[in-house]
Amino acid sequence: MAMISELQAPPRDRLSRARTLHWALVGLLAVCSLASLQVGATDITLTTLLGKLATGETLGRMERVVLLDIRLPRLALGALVGAALAVSGAAMQGLFRNPLADPGIVGVGAGAGLGAILAIVLGALLPAWAVGTVGNQLVPVAAFLGGWGSTILLYRVSTRGGRTSVATMLLAGIALGALAGALSGILVYIADDTQLRDLTFWGLGSLAGASWAKVLAAGPLIALSLGAALMLGRGLNGLALGEATAAHIGIDVQRMKNIAILAVAGATGAAVAVSGGIGFIGIVVPHLLRLASGPDHRALLLNSALLGASLLILADVIARVVIAPAELPIGIVTAVLGAPVFLWILLRRRGLVDT
Amino acid sequence: MSLHATGIRVRYGHRDALRGVTLHARAGEVMAIVGPNGSGKSTLLGAITGTVPHEGRVMLNGRDVIGQKPWALAAQRAVLPQTSQLAFPFSVIEIVRMGLQSGTAGDRPGVALHALRRVGLDGYADRPFQDLSGGEAQRVMLARVLAQVWAPVAHGQPRWLLLDEPVASLDIAHQLQVMQIARDFADAGGGVIAVMHDLNLSALFADRIAVLADGQCIATGTPREVLTDAMLSRAYGCTLRVSALPTADVPFILPHAATA
Amino acid sequence: MTRLRSIRPVLATLVALGMAAGSAGAQQTEQADVLSIGGSVTEIVMALGQGHRLKARDSTSTYPPAVADLPDVGYMRALSPEGVLSVGPALILSEEGAGPVEAVEVIRAADVDFVEVPDAYDASGIMNKITIVGAALGVPDRAAKLADTVGADLRTAATLAESWTGARKRVLFVLSTQGGKITASGTGTAADAIIRLAGGVNAVTDFTGYRQLSDESLGLAAPDLILMMDRSGDHAATVDDLFAMPAMQLTPAADSQALVRMDGLLMLGFGPRTAQAVTRLNHALYGERS
Repeated sequence: MAMISELQAPPRDRLSRARTLHWALVGLLAVCSLASLQVGATDITLTTLLGKLATGETLGRMERVVLLDIRLPRLALGALVGAALAVSGAAMQGLFRNPLADPGIVGVGAGAGLGAILAIVLGALLPAWAVGTVGNQLVPVAAFLGGWGSTILLYRVSTRGGRTSVATMLLAGIALGALAGALSGILVYIADDTQLRDLTFWGLGSLAGASWAKVLAAGPLIALSLGAALMLGRGLNGLALGEATAAHIGIDVQRMKNIAILAVAGATGAAVAVSGGIGFIGIVVPHLLRLASGPDHRALLLNSALLGASLLILADVIARVVIAPAELPIGIVTAVLGAPVFLWILLRRRGLVDT
Repeated sequence: MSLHATGIRVRYGHRDALRGVTLHARAGEVMAIVGPNGSGKSTLLGAITGTVPHEGRVMLNGRDVIGQKPWALAAQRAVLPQTSQLAFPFSVIEIVRMGLQSGTAGDRPGVALHALRRVGLDGYADRPFQDLSGGEAQRVMLARVLAQVWAPVAHGQPRWLLLDEPVASLDIAHQLQVMQIARDFADAGGGVIAVMHDLNLSALFADRIAVLADGQCIATGTPREVLTDAMLSRAYGCTLRVSALPTADVPFILPHAATA
Repeated sequence: MTRLRSIRPVLATLVALGMAAGSAGAQQTEQADVLSIGGSVTEIVMALGQGHRLKARDSTSTYPPAVADLPDVGYMRALSPEGVLSVGPALILSEEGAGPVEAVEVIRAADVDFVEVPDAYDASGIMNKITIVGAALGVPDRAAKLADTVGADLRTAATLAESWTGARKRVLFVLSTQGGKITASGTGTAADAIIRLAGGVNAVTDFTGYRQLSDESLGLAAPDLILMMDRSGDHAATVDDLFAMPAMQLTPAADSQALVRMDGLLMLGFGPRTAQAVTRLNHALYGERS
C-alpha cells in the first residue's frame, strides 16, 4: 500500500479538463442567451429595456410582447431542443458504439415525420370534436406520438428474452424508416399544394412557432429525459469496451439500454415535435467535444447539453436576422453550418466508421 | 472459498457446446483450463462469467451468481476477454480506470497507475489505446482487470481473476510476466481461472489443470496427474510425449514432427 | 434596422405613386403602417390607391411590380412573429391561412389589428374581398367604386364566355411537368374556377386538388388546350418540350399546339385582374369575337 500512495497525484487528466469545460460552456450558453434576447428583427434590445427598467420607465406593449412572448420562449425552446438533440446524439453514439449514430437510428425521425405528415394531411379531415382538445397543437402531438411509438416498436422488435440487440435495432430501424417513408409518400400524394409547403417547412425545422405553451409541454419531458441520460456516463464508457466487458465491470447493460432508449425517444420526440426536423446538432456537437476533451461520457453528456443549447440558440439568432423581416428555417442554418463539419468528420474517420 | 460450477450445459443451435461440465476452483490456486480448439474452454468461461446462456449452477464464494447485481459480481471477480474491442479514442489510463469504481480500490487513485506498472506499461498512461500493438493492448486490458480486483482478498473474501487466453498475443518474456502476475494473485489469497493453449506454461504456473474435450471435462488434477501421454492423446487426438523437468519435477511437452 | 432605414426612399416613391394614382391630398399625412399578406390582397390595396400606406408585404405579393421594393416578411404560412412586428404595422391585411398559429397569436397580442380576408373563387367573393379591404383601410367609398368596376368587368367577361354557342373546349391546367410527370388540377381549385369562368371545361374532374396524372388518364382527359403558369424553374417547359412528352402526344392539344401561359397571380389570384384573365383565356379558347 505504501507503494500505491507514492503513485498518487496522477497527472491532470482529460476528465478534469472536460469538467473545467463545463464552466466555459455555461459561459458560452449565457452569452448566446443574451445575444438571443438582444438581437431580433425589431430594434428593441435588451440593453435599452434594462436601461428603461433602471430609470423606472414602464415598458411599452410592443416591447413586452417582443421580449416576453417572442424572444424569451424562443430562447427557452431553443435551449431545450438543442440540449435534447445533442445529448440524444451523444447517448446514441455511445449505445451504438459509433460516432456517426444519431437519434434517427431508433426511428424517432421517421416516426415523428410520419406523425407530422398524418396530422398535416389528414388533420383537416378529423371532425371538430376529435380535434377540440388538441386543437392547433395537432402536428406537434402527432409528431411526438409517432416518434415515441416507432422507437417503442423498434425496441420491442429487437428485444428477446430481456436482451436488446443493438444490431437488430439498427436493421429494424432501416426497415421501419422505409415503411414510414412509403406511408409518407402516399400521404404526400393525396396532399394539396398548401399542405405540401407546410410539410416542406416542417421538415426544415423552425422555432418561429415558439410559445410558452410549447415550452411548458416539451420542457418537463425533455428535462426528465436529459436528467436520466446524464446519469449514463459511466455505463456508456464501459460499453465502449463491448457489452460483455461492460457487464463484467459492474454495469447493468440492459437497464442502461432501457434508460438510454427511453430517454432519447422522450427528448428527441419532444424536440422534433416542437421544432420540426433540425439536423446535425446531434452528430456535430458530441464530435467536437470528443476532439476537445476526450470521449469520457461522464463529462461528454453534460457538455453536449450545454454546447447543443448554445449552438441552436445561435443558429436561431442567425435564422431570424439574416433575411429579416422574413426568417430562414433553422434546419437550413444548422445544415449549412453542420454539413461541412459532418463531411470533415467522415473524411477524418473513414477508417473507423467501417469497423 | 471457491468458485464452483456444476452441470454446465450450453447449446448452440442443435450442437451441444458443453455437455454438463463441473469445475471446482479454489482460492489461493491458479486453475488452467486446457483442451483442443472447439472443446468448449472459452464457452465454459463465458458461462461462468454470465455472458453465455447456459443451464447449470455457478456458485461464487458460496453464493449463486444468479440474482446478484452486476456491480456486486464485479466487486468479486474481474474478467479478461480473449480479444479486446474499443469504440471512441480513450487513452490507456482512462481504460484502466474504467474498472475502478466497482471494486474496493475505487477510492485509491494510484491503483490504476500501479496496475499499469505491474504489466510493464508505466509510460503509456496518456497514449491513445487505438495506437497500441496487439500485445500492448492485451496487457492494458490485464491492467484494467487488475485494477478492478486490486486486492486479492477483500472483506475476508477472496476475489477472482477469470482470464481467457491471457498470453495469446504476447512474446515469451511477457507471457512469463503475465503468468507470474496470476501466480502472485493466487499466492496472495485470490483465485485465478485461466483458459490456456500453452501446456508448458500451464504446467509451470497452474496448481491444477482441467482438460476439456468435445464439451466435456475429461480430467482435473495437478499438472503431474493430468499431463500424461495417454490423456493428451485422448484430448488432442495426436501423439505427444510428456517429459519432466529434471530439477523441479514439472512436466513439459515438446512437440515433434510425426514420424510415419 | 439599418435595412429598414434604407427602404425609406423607396417608400417615399411609393407614396408619390399612390398620389399620382389619384389619391386625395389629405392622404399625404397618413402613415405607411399596413402589412399586406397574400398576392390578391396586396393587389386590391394598390388598386384602391392605398399603395402609399403599405409598409411591407409577403413573398406571394408580386403585383404590381412596385411592391417588390417593399420589405418581404416571407412565406405567409411560415411567418416570423418578430419579423412581422419589426416592420411596425398597425394593421395586417391577410389572406386566409397565415401562420404558424402561434405567430399570429403573438402578433394579435401586440395590439396589431389583424384582418383576415376570406378566399373566394367567384365574382361575389372577389367583390367581398375588396369590400373588406376597403373597410379595413377606411376607404369604403373607393372600395364600393372598385367593387362595382371589377364586378362589371367580371360580368362582361362572363357574358363573353356564355356567348359562345359552339362546343366547349376541354382545358387541362398543368401545375408542373417535373421529371416528366404531369401534375394537373382537378376540381375545387383556383385553376378549375378560372377555366369554368372562361367558358372552358376542366379536362380532369376525377379528383379534387392537384395530383400527378398517369399517362393514360391524360389521354382519356383529352384536353384541347393546356394552361400553365408563366414562371421560371420547373414550370418553364417550352411548347416543344411539353408536347414532345409521350403522354401529351395523344391529346388534341398537341395537334394544335394549344398552350396558354399566364402569370400565376393574374390567373389564380382572384383579385381585381381576374376579369382580364378570364377574357384572355376565353380568347385563347374560342378566338377574339366582337
